[in-house]
Formats: sequence, structure tokens, C-alpha cells
Amino acid sequence: MIGAVAGGLLGLLALSIPVGIVLFLLGFGVDAFFSSFPLSRGLGNMVWSSSNSATLIAIPFFVLLGEILVRSGVATRTYAALDRWVSWLPGGLIHANIATATMFSATSGSSVATAATVATVAMPQAERLGYDPKLFSGAIAAGGTLGIMIPPSINLIVYGFLTQTSIPRLFLAGLVPGLALALAFMGITVLICVIRPSLGGVRRTFPIQQMLRALLDLGPIILLFGLIVGSIYRGWATPTEAAAVGVAGAFLIAALFGGINGAMLRDSLLGTVKITSMIMLIVIGASFLNFTLASAGLGREITTFMDGMGLGPLGTILVVVVLYIVLGFFIETLSLMVVTIPIIVPLVLEQGYDPIWFGILMIVLIEMALITPPVGLNLYVVQGARKSGSLNEVMLGTIPYVVMMLVMVAALIALPDIALWLPAALE
Amino acid sequence: QTLSVVGSWSSLPLNQQYETPFWTEILPAAVPGLEVEMTTHNQMNLGLGDIYPLLGQGVYDVAMTVADYAVSDAPELEGLDVPLVALTADEARAMVEAAKPMVADIFRDRFNAEMLAIAPYPPQVVFCNGEIATLDDLTGLKVRASGRMTAKLLEALGAEGVNVSFAEVPGALQNGVVDCAVTGAGSGYSAGWWEVSTHLLPLPLGGWDSVVTAMNLDKWNSLDAETQDAIRTSIKADFEDPAWAAAQGALVNDIACLTGNGECASGEARSMTLVEVSDADFQKARDILTTEVLPEWADRAGGDWAQRWNDSVGAVVGVTIE
Amino acid sequence: MMELIWIDRLRRINRWVALATGAMLLACAAFVLADIILRRLGSSLGGTDEIAGYAMAIGTAWGMSYTLLELGHVRIDLLRSRGGTGLKAMADIFSMIVLTATVTFIAIQAWPVVERSLTNSSRANTPLETPLIWVQVPWFAGWIWFATVSALVTCLALSMVLRGRAEETEAIIGAFAEQETLQ
Ligand code: NA
Ligand code: NA
Repeated sequence: MIGAVAGGLLGLLALSIPVGIVLFLLGFGVDAFFSSFPLSRGLGNMVWSSSNSATLIAIPFFVLLGEILVRSGVATRTYAALDRWVSWLPGGLIHANIATATMFSATSGSSVATAATVATVAMPQAERLGYDPKLFSGAIAAGGTLGIMIPPSINLIVYGFLTQTSIPRLFLAGLVPGLALALAFMGITVLICVIRPSLGGVRRTFPIQQMLRALLDLGPIILLFGLIVGSIYRGWATPTEAAAVGVAGAFLIAALFGGINGAMLRDSLLGTVKITSMIMLIVIGASFLNFTLASAGLGREITTFMDGMGLGPLGTILVVVVLYIVLGFFIETLSLMVVTIPIIVPLVLEQGYDPIWFGILMIVLIEMALITPPVGLNLYVVQGARKSGSLNEVMLGTIPYVVMMLVMVAALIALPDIALWLPAALE
Repeated sequence: QTLSVVGSWSSLPLNQQYETPFWTEILPAAVPGLEVEMTTHNQMNLGLGDIYPLLGQGVYDVAMTVADYAVSDAPELEGLDVPLVALTADEARAMVEAAKPMVADIFRDRFNAEMLAIAPYPPQVVFCNGEIATLDDLTGLKVRASGRMTAKLLEALGAEGVNVSFAEVPGALQNGVVDCAVTGAGSGYSAGWWEVSTHLLPLPLGGWDSVVTAMNLDKWNSLDAETQDAIRTSIKADFEDPAWAAAQGALVNDIACLTGNGECASGEARSMTLVEVSDADFQKARDILTTEVLPEWADRAGGDWAQRWNDSVGAVVGVTIE
Repeated sequence: MMELIWIDRLRRINRWVALATGAMLLACAAFVLADIILRRLGSSLGGTDEIAGYAMAIGTAWGMSYTLLELGHVRIDLLRSRGGTGLKAMADIFSMIVLTATVTFIAIQAWPVVERSLTNSSRANTPLETPLIWVQVPWFAGWIWFATVSALVTCLALSMVLRGRAEETEAIIGAFAEQETLQ
């Protein structure tokens, strides 16, 4: 069944049918060929209950937050400020992409929203300064995925909800791996650009006064991060509600540092609706596909597969990692988590692993899924912000960063304390 | 003959210890030629309110979940599980048995389904982060409740209902987003709520969260009488009876685990303060239930449901809706 | 040029629809924020979770057709981009027909959900007891609107292709959005 669905997915996507619609069609296919029950009768209920979700409302809020920062000029100034600090590295502005994505990750719970924000401010620069479009856009797509690792994070909220694990502790656990990944991304960029300087574009240095003055421009984002994360840890807002706090904070910051006017508000709202609907068509289609897959016995297939192996702790984790990498090619990430967590997490915990640690490991794998074709939302979002070139370039550009994510997976397995140290230290 | 079965929450003991063995091992052995494909509603990512309606449409053959999830479509179903009227598992079972004819009618009319069994989740008790000694102390507190009648009762007691998802409760208790939260004692123990709350009120303010098992009516009618009998006999003896028999023991054990008041079989015992509610206090809450909450329900349910409830459940638990 | 005038009209209508949708989401954020502040002051509006869920369902449904006309629904452009104008137009028309059929089916299947709430007079299982048809009817209407707009766009594009103006359909049902919204 998994093979048939993967094949069908590739075929339908190649016909350039919208991805969300393809997921619905595959659901109809599973219903017709792999299930003896009239699953399509559940379609209306699935569409209603997968979109009637108080957790998902965090998506438009985070997108709106990013839109406001972009259109008030705050995002551009953040980007320029980080440019002053990191563009002396081999790879130049590519480091600013990663650094900006890391900073925005701290104010956004969604990887897609993070990538959309950074892509919008960064893409015009690539063309102006003559960067290799592959690595440049790949860095944005990959950097954007940090949005769900560095708190706040919609996906960690979903994980915490489904596994009954403390969300604030998950957030703490994601901080160190998130920053480590950001450094790893910058490290591999340096390495690549030392070997092939042509990929990197110009390295630029700035006078120290300019660098120090640029720090002021980072103030708004740091303020916003403090507001969002602070409201969660002070107990003012639940992690989902914190997205609304973020929107209010973004308005405040835009008013103080940029300016708010009617046209900007209108464009922000239109942009939010456009990106949210784009994501939601895929999320709803994926929910329906998952419903048909689960009804037709995907859970049983996975359980039999895992049981049949009879593995020890390390073997189990390695198989789980491979499973997520493979499923991550094809399945949209939120639904991937919703479907697999009830099956996989009990198996993993049975082997004596910590649920917080596994949550972080899963997030790295989910980040990878966001930039692996054919279903990788961040690739599409970055491509959507480009004026020219093909999707292939973005896909190729992410490969070095996917490698670093694999390194991170290995590091987390070898040294669980990367994730667990911070929550334990603050207990 | 293959049955497609959707179980309740896969993380909870009812599914792991009773539903899954019954449907995947015991029943296929008892009814020759019967095969079962089993999953759970959370593995299918079903909306909680969709579980029974989809059963009625024949999307699967058998489903079981908390009756309270379906009260959107059937307010009269709230009468199955009234808080505070059953304090022990035996009383709860007597209440549920008395309600069964009503539940069977509701499932036939609203969900095109045949009710097969009703089993309990552990009673829904109250965890508070802060000192409480009487029910009056709940006045003005923010309480996380699940289910409509519980929320109404808490409101009538002067508390304020707050919506927080299960996973966010520990953080919310710690930070004061809520002062108290209602859930099963066992769930609260395993999810670590004892870390963030100090007082345990062992009253079933949230009722017993009855889990109703039902089969699509067309499917049921397509079975021959012999198979129907075999299923009914087996589900009572091998699923319902053992699940109820374990319920009282589980409650005593879970409270011991949370308060250190006796033997804890699930792990290390914790030291929450057990709040003993005085008879007068309890009687007051019951009065509020019978004078405000239940009459409101009677209005919501309409028809002759209040009368039917008085004659069956009410007679068993000694409560009459005016 | 009839077709382009109609496309332009549809775009303008959907811009207003999207603005209203965005305003609703913004109001929802304000509502959540008000609840957080009131909670600090010891009171609460209650039910923000529930209302946020409804806003999401309704907003999603009504935003879909705006995204369609802005060419925002993600498509994989690997093979299509290698074809000539004619092939591209064929792929786009085919893709629009499949989309229209799927969305129409979704809209049809959404009706039983509304119908059930109607016949049972269903109310949400929450303290607010929201009558579900209040929120499901707007949600259902949003999907009908999406199906209608999809069908209209498909017909208009098809008519353009049949009149030999295939190269102009790229801007209406092609795979890439004009970037003016993301500047
Ligand atoms: Na984040
Ligand atoms: Na992927």
C-alpha cells in the first residue's frame, strides 16, 4: 500500500496537479483499492474537523506576524544588521540568511512562516549581489525549518499534545539543538565556499561602528522573542495563544520602528490569507489521506514491520529514523506527526528512551521532511518568493543542509544531553 | 466476515488492557469465521465529535469512545454520565445499567447504531494547585473541565471553566492559568500532574466518562441471530465485566499513588493532600446538581427524557429532577 | 477579451473576500489577546479556543479561491515547465479540471455534515453551546464558493484556449504567481 501511494503521488505530482488536490485524490484511491469501507463518506467530516482547530490558528497568526515585520521594514533592517555581522565569513550573505532565519525562528512557531519571511527579504539581495541561486535559496529553505525547533513551535505543541509531554520543557529542550543546527548550517556553508568560492558571492566587512549601530536594529526582534517566550514561561498565555501575543507585539514594534498604514495592513492580511490557504489545502488533504491510510491499515503495516524486526533500543531508533526519512519525502509534516506518533512513540518509550528527547529527534527529522522533495513545503515557499529559476535549484541547494541534519540526528542519538541538558539544568 | 473496529484512546489502559484483547483475540476465537481489523480513533486522527456519526454512515463497523464526545448531536446523552451521583464503581455501574435502554434508543435514533456495551474510564477527579478544604473553596477559581455537564456544575458551584488541552494542563497549573483541573486519577498520575498540584479532591466531579461500544445498525442487522447472541454474550462476559471489576481497584490504587495513602502498584507513591469533603458540603453540591444543573439538562434534552431519566437512573441513584 | 474582464472581476471580488477573511483572523487574534489580558485581571471571556477553531475553518474555506486566483496553490513544475506554450496550457487546463472536480466533490460531501447539525440541532460540547449550524453554514458556503470560482475559471480558461489564445492562460491558471504581493 505504501508503495502504491508513493507511486501514485509521484505520478500525479508530475502532472502538476496542485499538491493539496493530489493528496485528496490519493485518499480516494486508497478508499477505492485498499479499503472495503466507504471511507469517502467521511470526507466532509474530515474537512470540517481538520480545519476546525484551535492549534492550527497559530499558523495564520505566525504568518501575519512575519508579514507585518516584512512590510513595516523591520525584517529588512534585521537582515541588514545581521549582514553586517556575518558577511565577512566565506559565503557572505548566505550566513545572513541563516542568522535571520534563526532569529525569526525565535518569534515564529512555524517553519513555513519563517521561510516565507526570510525569503521575502533575502531573495532580492541574491540577484543584486550575484549569488549562486542554489545555495542561497537552499540556505533559506533549510534555515526556515529552524522555526519549529527553536521555541515557540507549533509542531512541538502537537507532539506534546499527542504524547502528553510538557510543552514548556519541550521548548527548552529544542533551544540548544536549534542553535547547534544553525551553527552547523553556517559551518557547512563556510566549508563549501572555501572549497568553491564561486558559490558564495562577495565577502564583505564593515567598520566596527556600523556593526555596533546594527545591533540596535536587532532590538525589535529580541523584544518580540522576549514577549512571546516570556508570556509562555510567565504563564500568561498557553503556547498556542502566544502566537496572538506575537501578532500584537509585531504591530507594536512596527508602530515604533517602521510604521503602520492602511496599504501595509491590507497587504499583510492578503498575504496571510494566501499563505494560510495554501498550507491548509495541503493540511486538509493530508488529513483525509491519513484517515484513509489509517483505516486501510497503515498502522498495522508499520506495527507488524517494527515487531517483525525484534530490535534492541539502538536498532529501533535507527529503523524509526529511516522510516521518518522515507515517509518525510511524501507526507506533509503535521499529518506525518499526527499519524505516526500514536504508533511510534510507545514503541520508542518501551525501549527506555526519554519522550522529551525523542520529541526533539523527531523535530529534526520533520525539519528534514520540510525540505525533501517531492512534498516539502519550505521548498515551495522559497520558490514562490523567487522571480526566476526552477524548483530544482532550491532542492539541490538544500542538500548540504540535509546532510547537517543527519549529523544532528546522529549527535542526538550519541549524546542525548544536547536536548536534555537545558530542561534538566533549569528544573 | 470482517469487522472494522475503531477503539478509544490508544494511550489509556481501557484500550490496551480490555478493548484490544477482546476485539483482536477473544471475540474472533469465540465467533468462528469472524475476523477483526482494529485501530483507534486517535490513530485515525478523527475529530472527537465525528466518531459515532461516521459509524452511523458505515465508514467502519464498530466504534467505542467517551459518550460525552457525542453530546453535540445528542444532548440527551449527557444523562448517561451525571457527575457526583455515583461515588463507587458499583454505584456507577448500577447507574450505567439503568441508563442502557435510553442509550440504546439514542444510538439507534441519532447514530444508526446498535449499542453493545458501556465500560468506564476512571472517575474524573479534581487536581488543585493551592489549598482547598471544601467545595466552597472552588468559588472564583479557574478550573479546566472537560465535558458540558461538568462545566455547568463547576459554574453553578461558582468556579470558572477554562479550556486548556490535556498536554498544556501541567504548565497551566504551575503558572496559574488554571487553579484546578479535572481528569482521571490514573491519567493525572502518569502525566505528572502531582508535580504541579498540591490538593486532590477525589469526588467524581467529572463523572465516570462512560465509553460506549456500538456497531453500525445495518451491519448489526446483517448478522444472523446466532452471531448477534454470541457477540452480546462475549462482550458482556469478556469485556464489560472485567473492565468494571478493575475500575474500583484502579481508583483506590491511583489515589494511593497520588497521595501516598496506601499501596501504589503503578510506581512511586506521591504526597498530594487528600481533601475529605464533609457530608454537608457534598449534600450542597448535590442540591445544586438537582436544582440547577439537571433541570437545565432536561431543557436541553427536551422531550420526555427527564421523565425517563427519573424512572431509570434517578431511581437507582436516588435523585429526582424537579 | 470577455474572459479577461471576467477574470479581473473574479479577482477583485476575491480580494474583498480575502480581506474580510484576513480581518476575521485579525479579530480572532485580538479576541485571544483580550482573553489573556482579562485572565491576568482575574476574569475571562471563555471559549477562545472554540472560537479560534471556527475562525480557522471558515477562514480557510473562504481564502481558498483568492489563493487559487493568485496562483498560490502549490504545484510541482518539473515536467510542465519543459513543455511549450500549448503543452503548458494543456497541463494547466487538465489541472484545473481535476481541481474543480475534487473541490466540487468536497463541497457536496460537506453538506451531510451541515445536514446532521441541522436535523439534530447540534450544539458544541462546550460551555458556549454554540449551535453548530451557525458556524458550519458559513464554512460550507466557503467551499461552495471555492467550487464555483474554480469552475468559472476553468470555463474561462478553456474558452480562451479554444479561441486560440493559449499563451494568455499562463497568467490566469499557470504555476507561478506574479510577485507583486510579496514585495
Ligand atoms: Na520557533
Ligand atoms: Na518532504
